[in-house]
Amino acid sequence: MNALRIIFDGIVKRNPTFVLILGMCPTLGTTSSAMTGMSMGLATLFVLMCSNMAISAIKNIVPDKVRIPVYIVVIASFVTILQMLMQAYVPALYASLGIFIPLIVVNCILLGRAEAFASKNTVFASLCDGLGVGVGFTLALTLLGAVRELLGTGAVFGLQLYSADFGALLFVLAPGAFIVLGLLIALYNRLYSHA
Amino acid sequence: MKSTLLTMTAGLCGIALVAGAALAGVNILTEEPIAEAQASARRQAIAEVLPQFDNNPADEAFEQDGLTLFPAKMSGTDVGMAVETYSDNGFSGRFTILAGFDTEGRLTGYRVLSHAETPGLGARMSDWFSESGTSHDLIGHTTPFGVRADGGDIDAITGATITSRAFMEALNKAAEACANSTTDR
Repeated sequence: MNALRIIFDGIVKRNPTFVLILGMCPTLGTTSSAMTGMSMGLATLFVLMCSNMAISAIKNIVPDKVRIPVYIVVIASFVTILQMLMQAYVPALYASLGIFIPLIVVNCILLGRAEAFASKNTVFASLCDGLGVGVGFTLALTLLGAVRELLGTGAVFGLQLYSADFGALLFVLAPGAFIVLGLLIALYNRLYSHA
Repeated sequence: MKSTLLTMTAGLCGIALVAGAALAGVNILTEEPIAEAQASARRQAIAEVLPQFDNNPADEAFEQDGLTLFPAKMSGTDVGMAVETYSDNGFSGRFTILAGFDTEGRLTGYRVLSHAETPGLGARMSDWFSESGTSHDLIGHTTPFGVRADGGDIDAITGATITSRAFMEALNKAAEACANSTTDR
């Protein structure tokens, strides 16, 4: 398996949102606009790459029976580091993502990739896997956020495409997240099964 | 690796030690920037809601009626007061606002500091009450603040009367604290 293959698989074949259906809490919670969706995706991408690398590096010295707690400690540490960095250098973004940053710890994607990939592969391959899956997650969240923002407020990334008066508020609210996610998964399956 | 009591204990302690050290390190590095970012956010918010001033209102902050007040001065004379006020009656619980008043008690500006109101409805309070040329522009308005539904003269946000009402409550509270602070001193 070469690096590009792993990255591509992470984005398309193992897309965490459209295929694995993992990490639904931040997916539904932070995608009320394209910007917050993308930020959440990038934050997860950062933690995923770091944790995949670290876990792959220590895989041979961790006793099997305590590997899950060890992985959780590694993931939680990177999340906390990210949280402190964001608070220091991008406070506005940190405020808009709020509770969802600390919640990255319990995102199934991270532990899932640690257990399914990083604990069995080399550091470099794990880095590629983290990059691929993270980018896949980021793209999915950005797309979901963009669609919801467009249908709900008539804007994408804050750029007004048509009057907000024609927006269907439903799509910015929680039910809209489920509806758009369902439609995007259906669309993804349709495209992918023909690819 | 084989799991014996010794390796498991060593493994868990080791990872905890490394993680703790890493976090302590990052904490030391970011402590100052975080404090700085929070202070500058507050400074910026105060500057946004008040007319020009040349003191540092955050340094002279004091408590009045349970709210924090930031007095603004221009070469020693009072020009206004920024009040950090809140309401617990928002549609999704508490929200906090920083409201600025001039010495006559007129609202000079406000900024929503934190809220959990519905996007597209209650969340519109961030700019709804300062849209100039409308009957819901509160800049220059004095207490009492009240929405039309309650006999006041301000148009509530369409579809978010509860938020609007809570917003008025927060402003009235701020104006009162502001007035009390000048009579008490």
